[in-house]
Parts: sequence; C-alpha cells; structure tokens
Amino acid sequence: MAERRVKVESEVGLHARPAALFVEAASKAPGEATVAKGDGAPVSAKSILAVMGLDVRHGDEITIRVDGEDADTVLDRLAEIAGAA
Amino acid sequence: MLEVLSPVPGNATGLAGVPDPVFSQGMVGPGTAVDPERAPQTAVAPIAGTIVKLHPHAFVIAGADGKGVLVHLGIDTVDLKGEGFETLAAEGDAVEAGAPLVRWNPAEVEQGGRSPAVPVVALDAPKDTVLDTVESGAVQAGATALFAWR
Repeated sequence: MAERRVKVESEVGLHARPAALFVEAASKAPGEATVAKGDGAPVSAKSILAVMGLDVRHGDEITIRVDGEDADTVLDRLAEIAGAA
Repeated sequence: MLEVLSPVPGNATGLAGVPDPVFSQGMVGPGTAVDPERAPQTAVAPIAGTIVKLHPHAFVIAGADGKGVLVHLGIDTVDLKGEGFETLAAEGDAVEAGAPLVRWNPAEVEQGGRSPAVPVVALDAPKDTVLDTVESGAVQAGATALFAWR
C-alpha cells in the first residue's frame, strides 16, 4: 500500500470537475483506493458519490491510499489532480 | 428501478447539450440535462432520499438504496459563490421527490455569461443501468421522469 498527503489547491475543492477526474484516475488502480479528509475515515476514491460526500474544500489536506501494482503511478496522478489549482 | 424526475422546468437536451466536457462526455456519470425556463424558479429533489450535499449551485440526493443523483444548476456557477441562489433545505434532511431545494433564476445566470444548463447525473452508475433517458421535449419540475436507474 502506498500513501500520500496532499493539500487540495482546486478553488472548488474536490467537487464536480476535479472529483470526476479524481475518481476516473483512482478507478485505474487494480486494488483498493481510498481518500480521507485529514485524519478522518477513508472512503472509496473510486466512488464519485463518496468523494463528493467528503466535502473536501480548497486548502484541505487529504490522505490518499492506493493498493496493488502501479500504486505509485496512480498516486502521482491523484496527487496531481488534487494539487492542481 | 429508480425513477429520476426533472428537478427544474424546461426542455430536456441530453448531456451532449451541456457546454462542459465533464458532463457532456459522461465523466461524472450517465444521465441527461435540462435547458431550464428563463424565469425565477425552485429546483426540486429528483428522487426521494437524503440530501448528501447541498451547495447553492448543486446538490446530491442519495436514495434509500444508496444511489446518488447529482443536480448541477448551471455551468461554472460555483464561481457565483451562492449569489442569486437560496437554499431551502439542509444537508442530512430526508426529502420526498419534488421537495423544494434551491430558489434560483436561470435568466440571471445566463445574463452573467454562464450557461444555465442543468445536468442530472446518476453517480457511479454503469452506463447500461440508466434507461429510458429523455433527451428532448418539455419537462416539468418534480413531475416528468428524465430517466430510470436500474
């Protein structure tokens, strides 16, 4: 399992557009992929309902965890989406 | 089978009619969209369930079986920071289909240079679970079915 903490730079937080991109990228992970707000409870990063429900705002820190092969590649992409302004 | 009603009055266009690739390419999920009447109006819950998210410009209702429907009132309307929108309920509320959720005016959104298109999207839904999608014709808020979700 690989893990990363990222500050969300998107002006709207992880909502419609960034959330859709984030979930699309997470769905490429062969194993489990989760996202949590700060040290909160993790939810599936592959569910757009779950990601939108987290209510991640601009400036919030999120913890992303990805299992399986190529976890780092998926994490890189997720961190890039979350960190994009 | 979950029947998803139009949250606003207007004309159905299909997601292809939404000037935002996130919606028109179905990245958020399958569904349709409504070109709303250009008059002050109340956007309503498209299904019965719990309000998961309620922003002035968008909301998500999750039905009893966990199916979440996203309604987005206009495109890039997050930039308006709630200006011109009045929320009529709260996150966590249980609502019936047709319950009033947000007062807004698509004419104002359009005058501000934004598309007032209203995508109605089945979140996390495989494409083939959304049936009978309405992509043309007049629709009424809380009355006309836009699609069925298996």
